[in-house]
Amino acid sequence: MLPVGVERELADIVGARFVLTRPGELLAYTADGLPGYRHDPALVVLPGNREEAIAVVQLLARRKVSFVPRGAGTGLSGGALADGTVVVGLNRMRRVLDIDVVNRWAVVEPGVVNAHLTRAVAPHGLHYAPDPSSQTACTIGGNVAENAGGPHCLKYGVTLNHVLALTVVLANGEVVTLGSTSGETEGYDLLGAFIGSEGCFGVVLDATVRLTANPPAVRTMLADFPSIDAAARATSAIIAAGLVPAALEMMDQPTIVAVEASIYAAGYPTDAAAVLLVELDGPDAGIDADVAAVERWCRDAGARDVRVATNELDRQRLWQGRKKAFGAMGRVSSHLVVQDAVIPRTRLPEVLGEIGRIGREEAVTVCNVFHAGDGNLHPNIPYNGNDPGEAARVERAMVRIMDACIAAGGSVTGEHGIGIDKLPYMPKLFSEASLAAMCRLRDCFDPERRLNPGKVVPVRSCKEWTMAPAARA
Amino acid sequence: MHAPNATTPSAALAGTPLARAGAGLDLCVHCGFCLQACPTYLALDDENDSPRGRLVLMRGLLQGDLQLTDESVTTHFDRCLGCRGCETACPSGVPYGTLIEATRATLAQRRPLPAVARFLLRVFRHPRLLTLALAVARAARWTGVPALLARLPRDVSFPFAMLESTRGRDAKPSYAPAAVAEGPRVALLTGCVMEGLCATTNRATERVLAHNGYQLVDAPGQRCCGALHAHAGDVPAAQELARANIAAFERSGADFVVTNAAGCGSILKEYEHLLADDPAWRERAKGIAARSRDVSELLAARGPRRGGPVHATVAWDAPCHLQHAQRVVQPPLAVLGAIPGLRVVPLVDSDQCCGSAGIYNLVEPDTSHRVLDTKLARIDASGADLVVSSNPGCLMQLGAGLLSGGHRARAVHLVDLLDASYAAEAGPHAT
Repeated sequence: MLPVGVERELADIVGARFVLTRPGELLAYTADGLPGYRHDPALVVLPGNREEAIAVVQLLARRKVSFVPRGAGTGLSGGALADGTVVVGLNRMRRVLDIDVVNRWAVVEPGVVNAHLTRAVAPHGLHYAPDPSSQTACTIGGNVAENAGGPHCLKYGVTLNHVLALTVVLANGEVVTLGSTSGETEGYDLLGAFIGSEGCFGVVLDATVRLTANPPAVRTMLADFPSIDAAARATSAIIAAGLVPAALEMMDQPTIVAVEASIYAAGYPTDAAAVLLVELDGPDAGIDADVAAVERWCRDAGARDVRVATNELDRQRLWQGRKKAFGAMGRVSSHLVVQDAVIPRTRLPEVLGEIGRIGREEAVTVCNVFHAGDGNLHPNIPYNGNDPGEAARVERAMVRIMDACIAAGGSVTGEHGIGIDKLPYMPKLFSEASLAAMCRLRDCFDPERRLNPGKVVPVRSCKEWTMAPAARA
Repeated sequence: MHAPNATTPSAALAGTPLARAGAGLDLCVHCGFCLQACPTYLALDDENDSPRGRLVLMRGLLQGDLQLTDESVTTHFDRCLGCRGCETACPSGVPYGTLIEATRATLAQRRPLPAVARFLLRVFRHPRLLTLALAVARAARWTGVPALLARLPRDVSFPFAMLESTRGRDAKPSYAPAAVAEGPRVALLTGCVMEGLCATTNRATERVLAHNGYQLVDAPGQRCCGALHAHAGDVPAAQELARANIAAFERSGADFVVTNAAGCGSILKEYEHLLADDPAWRERAKGIAARSRDVSELLAARGPRRGGPVHATVAWDAPCHLQHAQRVVQPPLAVLGAIPGLRVVPLVDSDQCCGSAGIYNLVEPDTSHRVLDTKLARIDASGADLVVSSNPGCLMQLGAGLLSGGHRARAVHLVDLLDASYAAEAGPHAT
């Protein structure tokens, strides 16, 4: 229950059409890209510009209402779910405010879609480098919240490396600027703390992001392997040699089959146990020597075939297949879980072997599609959720896979964030003292803990505290 | 933790079209890749007006969490254009078009369609009413009154501007198509609006097909294709019309059934699906569906033959039912490529709907105009003199928007442009 009058006051700010309260209309906002989790929000409010967004947050601060910022709802950790609280959707704030071609930065509102930013700056030979697979749908605000990665982050770095400054409204309604266009921070790097804070530290009003020049030469290669192990060994060989590809992605056979059945069919060999998608970029000089070297390492590891995209259309197809692979999983079964763990790259062969073993032992289908170059695994498990036995096995398999990744010296998220999905793993990774320190950092931004309550840090007292104001109403 | 989300129909909806189509919902993994492909989501900013949101609502209905009588739910289905732009964005292959039609058919069993829709669908279902209505429209157009009314504010003037936009060229055929005796035989689905208001385009279609080696045959007895009825949820009417057309085209003996209206072509190709539950007609429907082609497909299969120069800057705006429903993407570009002198400029989001969507612009004018405004801004930015499309609904929507908004560009059918090119090749004195 919200305090009396909040709905009407929000409608006064944004217009009645952009305040949703009826159960049917809230249903679409009960989940993000991981619909296994559903939380019912009390209300959804969609501010249309900066002034409205600030006014909404200030009102919620006055009335002590907890809220959750949401971009496009493409997140994969349940991070944008609101349990009886308010969803502040930022999708209407989608203007590119400024493009500075000379200094290579752009100022964008949080609801700008990642791929639309690249489209807007493409005429200048520039692009926005972080390219999550959901880039045709996800927003820059959400990318900041999750510190989003993507295939090309192997060479170019993640969102953190591409945000120069943020204007944010804190939970108490105060508007502050973090970072600067000079790229230098004075004092503590609060910008760095904010990026990846999963909507717990504030709401982005605008982001100043770095633009990257398109490389003069690009080569995209597809290598076809008879075993996952061979593909993993090729990955290790490329990394060990010191070459930094723009991207180095792996897909296994179940993933390839799903993609090839879809509208994004890319011509991947469906009889391959795994493929590597390797992109090299840089100056023209030397790139073909690098291509030859990558081909040699792939063949040495056992590749059946290695081909280079013949033209831009071919290259786009190879990438579209990879980037839409997650969405294509619906073809395999009615339900899906996806994980996101990072392991040391040198341990890829053994951890992938272990994941395969776990899948066989639990009798579940594991589809691997992931950023091999930086050891960021994404095991997807499609399953029939109406079969309780299978659902339980999937649950067990996921926990075992995550435990295996932690045991290999890895972490429980590369780019999807903790949200609610990975809360149970946090105590396995961090001590009580570390978790308490995270809570204290959060308190610097949001001492009332009203922003995105119940996420990231599994501290029982945090959750109980946030429920209190609502109960008072 | 992972609550089941697969769909088990509630008793209330058992046996309804939505319950029968419901398995399609299970393909959705909620990835959200469809959001930016949805014109109504972009125009209205509410996820309930997106494909993912509507799928969630459909599931809510099926599971009994939501009620068909809840207007806050059904309004989001009413607002769907049915453009199916989400289908060509969906990696999982969710059959959205089938699901929204099933939802509307289920809704139609429980509540009447809006009065405007009921009236229009009735007219299109009855040949004599339709002939009369189109004759009245032509007479009105001839008086010049709609051209005057088109200048009024858009809320009242739009239908008149649509009518005015159909005023064709008066030019006589100015080239003699090469006569061919052995070419494939094709029967033109003349269509209701196309023959009634854009007859010049139908004649141009016959000429350009003949010029590319096709033999035209008549198919008397053909009627409205039924697309409007199927999209609105009036399945029985759509089936009745489909049966009449299947019989007519079978009698014609044509190798191909050809359309110059993307919406009609789309439903022709789906007749098998439409009559799937009718054992007497299923196979016949399949036969006609397999022989149906958009005019651009037949032209592209023959090259098409190059024409004379047409000097204009043009942008292609793909009809949704060509691009997303029929998945015909390259052939129209091949047709443009056969016209020397054209400067073809890119149109941003040319694969997104213009807001026409059958009778949508008359039933949901507010949303339709929002979607149209985005399209008009894109057309202005493209610098095109002519925006080329190939569906009467789209051409009237674009034409009316361009007319009443004081824009520079004009809308033209792909076939009319090719016809002009062939006429230019023949020279001013050809017959």
